Amino acid sequence: METFAALAHGMAVAVQPMNLLYALIGVFLGTAVGVLPGIGPALTVALLLPVTYKLDPGGSLIMFAGIYYGGMYGGSTTAILINTPGESASMATALEGNKMAKAGRGGPALATAAIGSFVAGTLATIGLAFLAPWLVDVAVRFGPEDYFALMCVAFVTVSATFGDSPIRGLTSLFIGLTLGLVGIDKLTGQPRLSFGVPELLDGVEVTTLAVGLFAVGEALYVVSRRHHAEEKLEPVRGSLWMTAQDWKRSWKAWLRGTMFGFPIGALPAGGAEIPTFLSYSTERRLTNYPQEFGKGAIEGVAGPEAANNASAAGTLVPLLTLGLPTSATAAMMLAGFQQYGLNPGPLLFAERPDLVWGLIASLFIANVMLLVLNLPLVGLWVKLLAIPQPWLYAGILVFATMGTIAAKPSVVELSMLAGFGVLGFLMRRFDFPIAPVVVGLILGPIAESQLRRALQISLGDPMTLLQSPMSATLLAIALIALIAPFVMKGLGRFKASED
Amino acid sequence: MIPVPRRLFGAAIAFTLAVASPALAQQLELKLMAPAAPGGGWDQTARAMQQALVAAKIARSVQVTNVAGAGGSVGIAQFVNGAKGDGNQMMVNGFVMVGALAMNKSPVTLEQVTPIARLTEEIQVIVVPASSPLKTAQDLANALKADIAKVTFAGGSAGGVDHVMAALFAGAVGADAKKVNYVPFSGGGESLAAILGAKVTAGISGLSEYEGQIKSGKLRAIGVSSEKRIPGSDIPTFKEQGIDLVLANWRSVVAPPGITAEQRKTLNDAVEKMVKSDAWKDILKQKGWDDAYLSGDAFQDFLKKEIVRVTDVLKSVGLVKS
Amino acid sequence: MTDGTSNRPAPRRVDRAGLVIALALAVLAAVLVWDASQLQSATTYGMGPGAMPVVVAVGLGLLAIGNLIDALRGNLPPRESADVKAVLLILIGLALLIAIIGFGGGFILATSALFVTTSAAFGRRAIVTDIVIALVLTTLIYLAFDKLLTLSLPSGPLERLL
Repeated sequence: METFAALAHGMAVAVQPMNLLYALIGVFLGTAVGVLPGIGPALTVALLLPVTYKLDPGGSLIMFAGIYYGGMYGGSTTAILINTPGESASMATALEGNKMAKAGRGGPALATAAIGSFVAGTLATIGLAFLAPWLVDVAVRFGPEDYFALMCVAFVTVSATFGDSPIRGLTSLFIGLTLGLVGIDKLTGQPRLSFGVPELLDGVEVTTLAVGLFAVGEALYVVSRRHHAEEKLEPVRGSLWMTAQDWKRSWKAWLRGTMFGFPIGALPAGGAEIPTFLSYSTERRLTNYPQEFGKGAIEGVAGPEAANNASAAGTLVPLLTLGLPTSATAAMMLAGFQQYGLNPGPLLFAERPDLVWGLIASLFIANVMLLVLNLPLVGLWVKLLAIPQPWLYAGILVFATMGTIAAKPSVVELSMLAGFGVLGFLMRRFDFPIAPVVVGLILGPIAESQLRRALQISLGDPMTLLQSPMSATLLAIALIALIAPFVMKGLGRFKASED
Repeated sequence: MIPVPRRLFGAAIAFTLAVASPALAQQLELKLMAPAAPGGGWDQTARAMQQALVAAKIARSVQVTNVAGAGGSVGIAQFVNGAKGDGNQMMVNGFVMVGALAMNKSPVTLEQVTPIARLTEEIQVIVVPASSPLKTAQDLANALKADIAKVTFAGGSAGGVDHVMAALFAGAVGADAKKVNYVPFSGGGESLAAILGAKVTAGISGLSEYEGQIKSGKLRAIGVSSEKRIPGSDIPTFKEQGIDLVLANWRSVVAPPGITAEQRKTLNDAVEKMVKSDAWKDILKQKGWDDAYLSGDAFQDFLKKEIVRVTDVLKSVGLVKS
Repeated sequence: MTDGTSNRPAPRRVDRAGLVIALALAVLAAVLVWDASQLQSATTYGMGPGAMPVVVAVGLGLLAIGNLIDALRGNLPPRESADVKAVLLILIGLALLIAIIGFGGGFILATSALFVTTSAAFGRRAIVTDIVIALVLTTLIYLAFDKLLTLSLPSGPLERLL
């Protein structure tokens, strides 16, 4: 097949010793910069892009792919170790990953993240090579009404993150939805809940909320209970490496995560957040160890990490075939292409097949390098947790605020961070789940604007939601998922909170 | 790590020369504000200027600071209040800021800053899906006049350059600009998908963003917003088609209020030298930006006219209270 | 909202903290409705910007009632007493950080203050050692950002010496 020959040729270019070295340097730099909290993959790529300028196109692309994967993995590392997700896509990873790290299972958590990224990245890259032209045709047919329906499915599914009490879960979700309303309304440009404060016009930054709730809130909570029982942080308990059981529990989660991540990532407005949350909730529902969720279940790291990486490869589908940068990172990649006078788009596959296949081959190579570099480092990373508790939490707070200071050094933003920290503390104290707040902030605005776009195009006719077959199907799925647990009472895991 | 040695080198020079002759332009130590987050258009412009100013040895050092928020409203407020009278600071801005300031009821306006120069611009285009029955700008104009509600435009954020253009187009063809059915999308990517999927009637964006699709025949360009036809292009301008609409998405650089005439001249000279340098030309080529250098009083007049025009349009579509 | 710390968990008794939570949700709902009413409707087609806030406000209102019922029944999960002093110490650290950044004191001083207060909150008494550690750590971070990554962190008197 032509595709195979082209890919083989690309591989032959990529495995030249010099190019392997470039890949390794790229992964190293990407990881080193990506682990800094507050610096997500997009910014990592932006900062390191100039480094690649001096290389030839082939070498540069390979180093670029390395930086990209390194940056993504670096972000997960901080999410797992110190509970400060650098971007919204590693939020779901932090949920279980940090719990694992605190239980002395940071090693397996980092390992399953790295291997899951590798598996998902590889599978998704294969998908990219073979399905891109077909997928993109489906993707552009997705209209606002279909996205809205997809959001409905997501909302119903993420109810798994609500914990045991529906009232508390919904309260958290609605706090998140309220925060999502802050800022300029995307469709009419009017400020909502901004109270005349210019810094609020851009809305609540997802990372500020997450770092505030997760890292600052956790620190406050831990310190508030210090006199009860000294929390013991053991960096390593049991094996540093993944056990046979860890593998058994991880591999299906990796595959399912990939199944969520790649197609949704390929949608022009899909993004990485939805697949990671879908993956997290799915794993939580399917697991044989439900009691471990919320306390550090390995599936909850394996799935979302795979979904995150697969969706990153998915965003390359519209980028390469349509020239559509659908994420900040993809926009930076576009800039990377443009420095060689290349314009990704419908003509790229036809005009420069060597570079396209070279890139796809580089993604494979970079993925391998990521494993080579990061697995040996796992032992080193988890040692960080052996730092005495006062310094550990002091360091976490310094790094957590540093991310915000680097992104937006304003008093308002920092006050929000502190405020969300207090909120996170109070929610922990009164036993409200934290994750739904973030879910509400991310999904609420998307659902609202897609619904309003759909209605604006249909001139206010709500039937547009049912007329699109895709939207009708997704809404039906959401409805079934919503009703099924009640219908199959006793089978579902919906515990009634009232006695 | 290519930029690092250069910076360190620059710093080293800075130390050795700090004592001597401060009058030379080469002694400039500039602070450049990008009123947006790292990575965006204004940030890229600022960092490109940094690169060119240092490479062409016009300035000894250039420090880029990012103050993100509300389309530049946060940045300009800090710039006007904090850098007043400082002849070593500049801020990057552009078309989008004009609308953002008006919409956010910003207490600080672009009239307060000292204009230095317009640097780059991008031509805007209106496209329709390949399957659309509309062939020319006149077809679109007729559709608008027939039933303006049914003609949906996809483009970037509310009040941005794409939105302004939709309203200007409607106004120019004699339809009611107030009733334009403009659907804002976040980012060029999402709106392009909506156009390719024929969810909307037409799409508006910078030309470079849709160039690939136009060449491959998936989108049909029915007109560009430039004054004259782009050399080598077969897309007609709106003017050629009898519609009076000229618009470009420009980016410029300004200085703080209250600087002396001498300081202003120093900055003007530095920017002029930069624009003429090879380093700057290379960057423009690399990024695919069009040179639109305009300085001095000409730029000041241009800026004033744009502010009036944009504010009027935004009032007409109800985004700014009159 | 911080009261109730001294409330001993007693089942089937009105939970005061729960009442405060319910009240806070109701207030939030009211703010949403008020804010939505301030919007001028500019949309000619479809749903306006005020619809979603009202929907969220209704949800919050219902949840306020739900939480109120929980609180009246004393259905809140039990909680242990909290070390208020330690929490306050970290909050003071955050306040210091914000103030120092706000008044142009720079990154190093601001984050060092947070480091030292947090470490003290967790029971460290060797303040001088911690100050030294904090200054070294934050200076290294500052240098890495400013010199290697060319991202500017807020600078104050200390940063200008570097």
